[in-house]
Amino acid sequence: MAAERLIPQRAPMRLVDRLLSVHEGCGVAESVLPRENMMADGEGRLDEVAFVEMIAQGYAAFKGYLDLVEGKPAGEGFLVGVRNLEITGRAYAGDRLLTSIRTVTSFGGFAVVEGIVTRGDENVASGILKLWLVEDGR
Amino acid sequence: MNALRNAIRDSAEGDIARTGPDTVVRRYRFAPGFIGFSGHFPGNPILPAIVQVCAVISLAEEEGGKPLRLAAVRSAKFHSPIRPGEEVSIRYRRSCASGEDVCDATLSVAGKTSAAFQLRFSEEEASR
Repeated sequence: MAAERLIPQRAPMRLVDRLLSVHEGCGVAESVLPRENMMADGEGRLDEVAFVEMIAQGYAAFKGYLDLVEGKPAGEGFLVGVRNLEITGRAYAGDRLLTSIRTVTSFGGFAVVEGIVTRGDENVASGILKLWLVEDGR
Repeated sequence: MNALRNAIRDSAEGDIARTGPDTVVRRYRFAPGFIGFSGHFPGNPILPAIVQVCAVISLAEEEGGKPLRLAAVRSAKFHSPIRPGEEVSIRYRRSCASGEDVCDATLSVAGKTSAAFQLRFSEEEASR
């Protein structure tokens, strides 16, 4: 499903394109960033900070899908914390990047999420994010 | 250098100041037309957390005169949103312990800390 239906971010800050799968507390989102993206340099190499946002938006798409299934509008979500996020690879505009998220816990409008961004068989980033989810935010 | 980092540098106000041997401070003002607000969020622009991190990296690169690769976000807390036009003070302290290049940074608006994080840099393979 197109991420634009599930998350409030819009281009150029929408960094995930599609939600590919949802299973229990997990989801997978796909990103293919264009060369003209503001986070790609002259060689097409993506800024490492993009991986953090991909995990955040991957979770937002997952949550937006659950909201959609329940007939609720997708709310806004804010990144409020990061823990032990390691960037171990690189990626370029045009690469197909998959972001896998797993809900570690959720409580009182907050969610703790484990995310991994992969490029082919390579993990390029992984870590833990904390997000604040605004119910009926739009 | 990518367009986001260029736009961040263009949003700097005043010179880089040193307030200690390893501590650097600079002011920024991200105008309503700043590219980082585009699409985040429509009708409710907020400076994305990753742009805040990127601003610290950009400042450290500018101050140090060489490109840096972000190797880790060890911890980060984003306390309050940063809106268009607000004056943002970025302060960071770099240290090198056990061979690791670590940067402790805070962003503040009107004297209140809006974000604090610890990054780890690598100079290897940076190509911006």
